Amino acid sequence: MDPVRAIRLDPQDTVAAVLADAPAGVEIAAECGDDLRTVTAVEEIPFGFKVALEDVVEGGTVRKYGAPIGRASQPIKAGQLVHIHNLEGIRGRGDLAGTAE
Amino acid sequence: MKEEFLGYVRPDGTVGIRNQVLIIPGSFEAQKVCEAVRGTVMLNNADLGIGRTPEDRETIARVRAGLGRNPNIYGAVVLGLGEADQKQLAYMRLADDIEASGKPVIRIGENGAGSGWDGIAAASKAAARLVWQASRERRQPVPLSKLSIAVKCGSSDPFSGLAGNPAVGHLFDRVVAAGGIAIFGETTEIIGAEHELVERCVTPAVAKKLMDAVERQEQLAHSIGQDIREMNPVPENIKAGISTLEEKSLGAVHKAGTAPIQDVLDYGEVPTGKGLYFMDSYISHTSVFLGFAASGAPLVLFQLGGGGYDRQTLTGGSAVVAPEMWCTGNPRTAERLADSIDFSAAPVIDAGEPLEQAGERLLQAVLDIASGTMTKSEVIRYIEPLEMYLPGPTF
Repeated sequence: MDPVRAIRLDPQDTVAAVLADAPAGVEIAAECGDDLRTVTAVEEIPFGFKVALEDVVEGGTVRKYGAPIGRASQPIKAGQLVHIHNLEGIRGRGDLAGTAE
Repeated sequence: MKEEFLGYVRPDGTVGIRNQVLIIPGSFEAQKVCEAVRGTVMLNNADLGIGRTPEDRETIARVRAGLGRNPNIYGAVVLGLGEADQKQLAYMRLADDIEASGKPVIRIGENGAGSGWDGIAAASKAAARLVWQASRERRQPVPLSKLSIAVKCGSSDPFSGLAGNPAVGHLFDRVVAAGGIAIFGETTEIIGAEHELVERCVTPAVAKKLMDAVERQEQLAHSIGQDIREMNPVPENIKAGISTLEEKSLGAVHKAGTAPIQDVLDYGEVPTGKGLYFMDSYISHTSVFLGFAASGAPLVLFQLGGGGYDRQTLTGGSAVVAPEMWCTGNPRTAERLADSIDFSAAPVIDAGEPLEQAGERLLQAVLDIASGTMTKSEVIRYIEPLEMYLPGPTF
């Protein structure tokens, strides 16, 4: 199977958006201009969703568009789907207000 | 590539892209006038500010007057209101504000006269006269510098940030470079992306206004003890693959292009100069577009993700006096919502089109619509019930 294309807008991004449904086991080619990074999907990554390009430790920062989009709420492995089950926002967290962040 | 459009030049020098007569305030009477007389529009909202703070009542008056001053409006018919209503709303000056822009305004009685069935008859006759006069106006070629345009992104998905919003950003840069006005808003959706915008504010005072607006929104979430994700991103965003507010914001601000930010406008405030402006507002499309139109934008863009949609959407829009142009960067949305989408930047995603080229295509599509081509939502005879952005408490 041909690699599935993905886009990242900044070379430092730790995730990329896939441009087609990517089944588990398929290679994902994440472009950023001429800079290409590849990763093998370890689970299905639906159209437009984010695949991790590298491992992220729990609490580690996840970057997209060249900026932090949140932190890993559990360890993330390269090739995994990154979404609300393993990524949480940091801003506007009234539920955490008053607790140390 | 053309850089001009055919517009209606108004007495105050602003340029409209449509030529309508506004019937205000919104009421049963106004609706009957609109049914009787072609070429008229009304505000489908009867909130005169009862029990609201002076600031919010001021916003209501400003927005209604702003809609009348929008360059798409040839003139206005102002139905009679009771004396107490007029005091309540600071309403006495509504007709005066519109008239000050040089437009014809016909007042239907004062202090209670000109309401009810009599009001319908008198206002219909006045509206018919204004519409006939309006029809004698002619479009003329005007440069891009005369365009004012505003954008809101909606149903955001990953392709909003990758294609749809950047294409709008390119359009905004072109409009601003030509000397026109471009407006974006939605304060919650710059949280997480404000660092880049703040650096682009023309003065430290403007930067402070922007940061104050952002901090106020974030503090609101803190004050109610909620994770902002209970409100934003919305379920549609999450279904399409957006995980956090920061991610949504970083994608959203691409629609603002790269120009310096001249000022932070209150909801419905008219810019005093040219260039890029931010309007303090919340995210609902039934509210934002109305504010943009009150700020003088004759055309508003709805930059749609739509990846979380599993249905078609038909709407006549919610800016009342300004047509809504729907754009998308998602190839699947472009196909599914073909009956609603006016412009697609999806070739950036599925055909390798350079973003700049998509932005130029968008500019040409905008000039075409500004010259008279209808938007797909404009064809539909339906206006969403409107809500203004009124953040104050009610009593």
